[in-house]
Amino acid sequence: MMFLAIRELKHSKLRYLLIGLIMVLVALLVFIISGLANGLSSDNASSIQNMKADYFVMEHDSKNKLNRSIISMEKLDEIRAISDVKAAEGLGQMMITLNKIGSSEKTDVTIFATDASGILAPKVIEGKSYDNKKQGEVIADRSLKEVGYKLGDSLKDDLSGKVFTIVGFTEKQSYSHTPAVYMNVKGWQEINPGLKNQGKDSISTIAVQMDSKSEENVRESLPEGVTLISKEESLQSIPGFKEEQGTLTMMIAFLFVIAAFVLAVFFYVITLQKTNQFGVLKALGANTGYLAKSIVGQVMLLAVTCIAISVALTYGVTLIMPEGMPFELSADLVIKYSVLLLAVSVLGSLLSLYRVAKIDAIEAIGRVS
Amino acid sequence: MMGDKLLFENVSKVYGEGDNKVIALDDICLNVRAGEFVAIVGPSGSGKSTFLSIAGALLSPSKGRLLLNGEDITTLSPKELTRVRLEKIGFVFQSSNLVPYLSVRDQLLLLSELIGKRDKTTVKKADELLSQLGLGHRAGHLPEALSGGERQRVAIARSLMNDPEIILADEPTASLDSKRGRDVVEMLAHEVKSRNKAAIMVTHDERMLDLCDRVVNITDGKVFG
Repeated sequence: MMFLAIRELKHSKLRYLLIGLIMVLVALLVFIISGLANGLSSDNASSIQNMKADYFVMEHDSKNKLNRSIISMEKLDEIRAISDVKAAEGLGQMMITLNKIGSSEKTDVTIFATDASGILAPKVIEGKSYDNKKQGEVIADRSLKEVGYKLGDSLKDDLSGKVFTIVGFTEKQSYSHTPAVYMNVKGWQEINPGLKNQGKDSISTIAVQMDSKSEENVRESLPEGVTLISKEESLQSIPGFKEEQGTLTMMIAFLFVIAAFVLAVFFYVITLQKTNQFGVLKALGANTGYLAKSIVGQVMLLAVTCIAISVALTYGVTLIMPEGMPFELSADLVIKYSVLLLAVSVLGSLLSLYRVAKIDAIEAIGRVS
Repeated sequence: MMGDKLLFENVSKVYGEGDNKVIALDDICLNVRAGEFVAIVGPSGSGKSTFLSIAGALLSPSKGRLLLNGEDITTLSPKELTRVRLEKIGFVFQSSNLVPYLSVRDQLLLLSELIGKRDKTTVKKADELLSQLGLGHRAGHLPEALSGGERQRVAIARSLMNDPEIILADEPTASLDSKRGRDVVEMLAHEVKSRNKAAIMVTHDERMLDLCDRVVNITDGKVFG
């Protein structure tokens, strides 16, 4: 089956080298953009993505935006009382700018507030967790450490004048491209300008662990004034998340279409050029199946080689990427996209197979080529 | 009749219908025996190409039967005809029509590949055929490196590769000068005799006819032998 395929590839090296180069570049772009999409997605939302919650209870008029939602703490017990809810925990959220004391450095962070021993408390990788009672303790995402913050550093919120001390670090916690800082609910209520003067015990949202099957039941049992959204919906409402991911996904989709068309056109033109030759081969006794396998074999060989080179190049590129570049490429994703690229390549060769099937062996007789 | 390699029984070929009807072949009867080298001559448009296409199982007749080595091939499916061409018919085309990216040896091995048994034996057979046709030193060359005469000799070797019942040659000297053309036809005639094959050669080159056992004239789709 590969008798003709390999010999032709060897003979017309330049031709197949050029198309191979295009394939390598297209595949490389697919891998880099999907790595970037993945990286940006987690840079944007890893706090929510890694949170041990399936659904969020939001204030009714918040348009699913965490920073607009305010729920009374009393509702937490009502939610916990619903039979299909496995676990629930309150979460406060706000975005602020912190000043490092003793330096002019300012950092935008997202504050998350939750029970230090509850289901939402992040895993501490260095230091200790904050105290639920004691004020002014926080744990911060590791990315703050990478920009020079240390355990024991003090941070000041200019708006409220409160000072916080980093007692621990966590990892993979970021929200809307800012590092997350966790503290207890009381501390959050004190710096939240909307709550400070009301003296009410409130949080932003209630994270819920439950089966998606029981969604309807839980929704019907919800207290007044709140609504239930899935984790996926809450990701979509992170500022810029949908737009960012949508753009990159569209680019990847287009690259697949481009890959299919480039290969389809290339092999179609080559097949047209070889019409006479295929006529002779058919006259000699080659059936369409054999010639089709030969073409698909060529496409597969070319695609597999090019994809393998691109994967190697992609990992090479990640090595020289600047520190802090949001780039994440899992082996799963690489395999998935490789298979998909191979599939569209073969799809692109179908046009040529149709052409080959139409060639009549009789063209070989009575004609000077 | 015993010894008939190829037998045309009242074969007709009609193209088109109604007013556009063209009779390309009209009730042809012809037999070619083993070891016989038959030349088909005739003006252009006389039906030579149609005749050769039918003989080569590339085209089905409108009427009549075609027997190849005693087997009626007019009733076969297109797929079976492809198999018949591969196993029982050797072709030599006008300008050799070698595959441009295959070495001379691979041109022959392609036939073994298509038949499904390419191994050491077939490599040996290909090399034998090439040296018998004086191409031993050319086995590794591509067609572009060969002269026109050498290419036609490769085509003859290729046509013999699968040990066919009959060899069909379509104007094999068309792209050669008369000296080289004659060499090629002499070689073809020699191979046909020594291997006891049957062969049909369509040609317009009258100088080659003395090398053939029989000359058949086709005019307006009718045979005059």
